[in-house]
Amino acid sequence: MHQQTPAEHELASLIVSSLNLEHIKADDFVPDAPLFGAETGLDSIDALELALAVSKRYGFQLRSDNADNKRIFSSLRALSQHIETHKVS
Amino acid sequence: MSAQWRERREAGGRVAIWLIRAAGLFGGRAFARVWLYPITLYFYFRRTHERRDSRAFLSLALDRPARALDVLKHIHCYAATILDRAFLLNDASLDRFDVRIHGLDRLEAEIAPGRGVLLLGAHFGSFEVLRTLTARRPDLQLRVIMDLKQTRALNELLHALNPAIAANVIDAGVDPGALALSLHEAARQGALIGLLADRSRAHEATAAAEFFGRAAQFPTAAYQIASMLELPIVLAFGVYRGGNRYDLHFETFAQEIRIPRQGRAAALQAWAQCFAARLEHYVRQYPYNWCNFYDFWDRSVDEQRTRNAAVSFGGVP
Repeated sequence: MHQQTPAEHELASLIVSSLNLEHIKADDFVPDAPLFGAETGLDSIDALELALAVSKRYGFQLRSDNADNKRIFSSLRALSQHIETHKVS
Repeated sequence: MSAQWRERREAGGRVAIWLIRAAGLFGGRAFARVWLYPITLYFYFRRTHERRDSRAFLSLALDRPARALDVLKHIHCYAATILDRAFLLNDASLDRFDVRIHGLDRLEAEIAPGRGVLLLGAHFGSFEVLRTLTARRPDLQLRVIMDLKQTRALNELLHALNPAIAANVIDAGVDPGALALSLHEAARQGALIGLLADRSRAHEATAAAEFFGRAAQFPTAAYQIASMLELPIVLAFGVYRGGNRYDLHFETFAQEIRIPRQGRAAALQAWAQCFAARLEHYVRQYPYNWCNFYDFWDRSVDEQRTRNAAVSFGGVP
């Protein structure tokens, strides 16, 4: 039901390692669930850390003037899809 | 308690809106300033909680029992700076202010292309006085982090007065991901990123720091942001000196902030303590500029304050 794609699993692992999460494992992330907020306990400071980790790992900047901002960070799936279309490989 | 807080904050906002509207419709700043006296008296007699909290704060800051006249001066100073916000947002009326800038070289020393500087202020005097600098220096880009959900009516009015300002606000009330990206972007553009670091909001990371000899909770988000984005921190306090006079103080706070994963809490607490000490230094010199009309040291008001703070930046949700 909440099957992660390989790309999503890689991103989930990056989230766990960059945010030093101890209470969540990469497999625990539900791809369609909200990434930040009360449910995961991740706040904007975590989001900032993740944005930096993503740009380092995938070689591109997440843009803030992008109207899709809210959608990009809405879930693991949305962020992963955004990365797959923009990453410098 | 929470209803009381909401009511207290909104009343202040309503008076400010009324004053600013009246100033715009009738005779400008001089006209509006005449009304500061009856408004001060009205607040003094009707707002018993603010009066009590102001007196308690001033007794600490002045190092002697505060008198009625001290509290009246405190309310008048606050009302004057709220009114001036409207004029400080209007490019055409910036010239009417006599602003002395101290430590501009400190700020300039930290400005580098593509890096950004974190400007830490407080609910003390007027942070908007920064506009007198950035209006004259188009090379300096100012972005201010604030939660627009707080006192929405006042913010809408101020932004209607100068729509360009709204574009320079980073709304801390948006979802965490979008806020993080806005911060990152502003830093990459080399902007001065303004943030008030005295009021903490509920569910926000804070650390206890000694302030006027007693422990108070200070938000710590600013130091984490500075560490991650590798931003230097410069303090910025706009002090109201009466009439049309303001002093704008810049002071180097930290050229580099490193918050290690191990010992993060201790590092954040140490920086919060540094900030509290510098804030106390300025507040002692200009106690009437203190804009926090509540028991700053009481943790139990955190939640109410968060929802109802007059102009809340505080930090990041």
